[in-house]
Amino acid sequence: MSELTLVRHPAVTEAPPARRVLIGLAFATLALFVFAPLAVVFAEALAKGAGAALQSLASPDARAAIRLTLTVAAIAVPVNAAFGIAAAWFLTKFDFPGKAFLITLIDLPFSVSPVVAGLCLVLLFGANATLGGWLVASGHPVIFALPGIVLATLFVTFPFVARELIPVMVEQGRAEEEAALTLGAGGWRVFRTVTLPNIRWALLYGVLLANARAMGEFGAVAVVSGKIRGQTATMPITIEMMYNEYLSVSAFSLAACLSALALLTLLVKTLLERLHARRTQG
Amino acid sequence: MREPLIHSSPMPGLGLSMGITLTMLSLVVLAPIGALVAQGAVMGPEALWAAVSRPRVLAALGLSFRLAFFAATVNLVLGTLLAWVLARYRFAGRRLLDAAVDLPFALPTAVAGIALTALYAPSGPFGAVAAGFGAKIAYTQGGIFLALMFVGLPFVARSVQPVIEEIEREVEEASATLGASRLTTLTRVIWPMLMPAALTGFALALARAVGEYGSVIFIAGNIPMRTEIAPLLIVIELEEFDYKGAAAIGLAMLAISFAMLLAINLVQIWSRRRIGDV
Amino acid sequence: MHIDIDEIAKEFGPTTALHPVSLAIPSGALVALLGPSGSGKTTLLRILGGLEFPSSGRVLFDGQDATGLSVQERRAGFVFQSYALFRHMTVFENIAYGLKARPRATRPPKAEIARRVTKLLDLIQLPQIAQRYPSQLSGGQRQRVALARALAIEPRMLLLDEPFGALDAKVRKELRQGLRDIHDETGLTTVFVTHDQEEAMELADLVVVMSMGRIEQIGRPQDIRAHPSTPFVKSFIAA
Repeated sequence: MSELTLVRHPAVTEAPPARRVLIGLAFATLALFVFAPLAVVFAEALAKGAGAALQSLASPDARAAIRLTLTVAAIAVPVNAAFGIAAAWFLTKFDFPGKAFLITLIDLPFSVSPVVAGLCLVLLFGANATLGGWLVASGHPVIFALPGIVLATLFVTFPFVARELIPVMVEQGRAEEEAALTLGAGGWRVFRTVTLPNIRWALLYGVLLANARAMGEFGAVAVVSGKIRGQTATMPITIEMMYNEYLSVSAFSLAACLSALALLTLLVKTLLERLHARRTQG
Repeated sequence: MREPLIHSSPMPGLGLSMGITLTMLSLVVLAPIGALVAQGAVMGPEALWAAVSRPRVLAALGLSFRLAFFAATVNLVLGTLLAWVLARYRFAGRRLLDAAVDLPFALPTAVAGIALTALYAPSGPFGAVAAGFGAKIAYTQGGIFLALMFVGLPFVARSVQPVIEEIEREVEEASATLGASRLTTLTRVIWPMLMPAALTGFALALARAVGEYGSVIFIAGNIPMRTEIAPLLIVIELEEFDYKGAAAIGLAMLAISFAMLLAINLVQIWSRRRIGDV
Repeated sequence: MHIDIDEIAKEFGPTTALHPVSLAIPSGALVALLGPSGSGKTTLLRILGGLEFPSSGRVLFDGQDATGLSVQERRAGFVFQSYALFRHMTVFENIAYGLKARPRATRPPKAEIARRVTKLLDLIQLPQIAQRYPSQLSGGQRQRVALARALAIEPRMLLLDEPFGALDAKVRKELRQGLRDIHDETGLTTVFVTHDQEEAMELADLVVVMSMGRIEQIGRPQDIRAHPSTPFVKSFIAA
């Protein structure tokens, strides 16, 4: 293949040795930063055999953590998907002033440290704050409880789905929706039969990314969770606690679960991109 | 027949989509950030400055921003290189490499943190090699730098790659026919076209690195004044119930981040204007 | 159905797309809105179809005020410039869409929908492409499918935005005759937008020349050719 490129564009490619060096550098960078860390997670998890790894995952703390993380993701991800769809619809189907500013606000969580996000939630909902104090007094604590963890997760994953959908919907324009309207279709039907089929892959990818981040979020959750073992300790928090207690196999076994999720996310992404490439060619 | 209505658009769902968007934005993002800003307003500039100007806080802020800037700069180079290799060359394993670039996006930061520590601690495989040369990586600023490079790696590559794919070969051929060497073409023709996207990636990597917590705290050693990052100091102050101190550091981080992003935006506008929209 | 446009104006923020314009379209006419880009012709067509709402003025269908009718209630068969075929549906599903979208009470049964789609495919002389996807069709075929899809809802009028704009010269000539035939067969009041004066003159019964958001002249093709009423019309039809 590289010979072909060379023949077709003799003037505009680097000399073969330079190319080899650059490709080598790319592999070296990723080996050092991506492949080695992944390998070490699985190696440490299996350091005392698969049985020990599985046993550690069955411990009460690990099971509680897995359950909590799944619960949080099951709430936060659909909520963010609904938000992402609504925001993308609002931003791409209507014209109004201040659109760029609104997009900036939606992107804001990208430039705020997760720890600062957690801090913000503590200042709003903590027992010392007006609103937080009232909520605690009425028996609905947010901080050091599930709602706080969900809110922190919502904050850090906020732009994910909207970011994936907006470019796709801008590219597809409004004509198909308008055509459906002229044919007599109502709003929900237009969305369900025309918009959704066109954005489903982008939606799926956005949901996957949001899910990976929701299950893996550490900084923001660490601040608001209170790290109560078996109650408010998510998988990443439990990994930290186990690691600090030198329970290496347990920590890395949980880490291996999250790594597998990350790998699955990337696999699906790669498959989706290949599907998309084939479609645009066809 | 209905009374004539004043529609701005016949597209359905204006009220619903606007309602959900603005409500969620307010509840999830704006109200919490507003609480932080309000806390700062209550404290006043003098108390804020007193909280931020403590030596330990200044050291932590300085460390966070300095290392984040270095890591983002290295990522600017490495990310552009990765994007070039992935967009231009065809070789065995390219697909694997392409997918791997995104791993730092998908891998939880705590997992990255313990994995990097296991690798680069003196007892780990890479750390042992470094120790052979008398160098120490984990539990030093070098370890923090490594973790920040890891989390920022995909940003520049993913911003630049689509731009490289869209550059017309004819531009490079034109440069070559005019007698430019390959190196001249790359630095004078290609790089200016990539710069706005590269800067976008740089800004994203920088913002991410400044606030990074999970992947850093395991490898950092967390020694006050030496290897203690600003987000960790916020966590410590919160654990000591010093909400004002934590809020002051949080506000300082927000303010410095926004000032830096604004500066990068200005550079971007300047470079876009110089070369036009590519 | 005859259409009356009564002092319709449209502003997009600070820019005026249409100054108040008035126009009477007789029932069964084939009308061309002719003008350069930015003349307001597409905006006027979209206002007729209910895809834009005028800043002021009224639209009357058969003497009834239709200004506040929603796009669904207008039942205007609209053919988009890019055709806007649903790319994830087959030709059959595209044409059947409007019938399936009807409320249960007026929705024809499945077999009736299939019969009507087949009949429309015959009308556009493409009986064999029902199971193809839009990406598998030529430009001319797409245009005809878009026309069939618009006709499927038994529209009260037919609105076409640059219906021949995306086609090469030979196909364009063929499809012009095709549109004329379908118009004559259905008797629908038909309005199409074009920037091509030859196309407007050859095809339309009535030509409306527009420029800068104003109507410059309304008339039969031969009258406009013989007596252009403004310098703009004179230069535009000479081009």
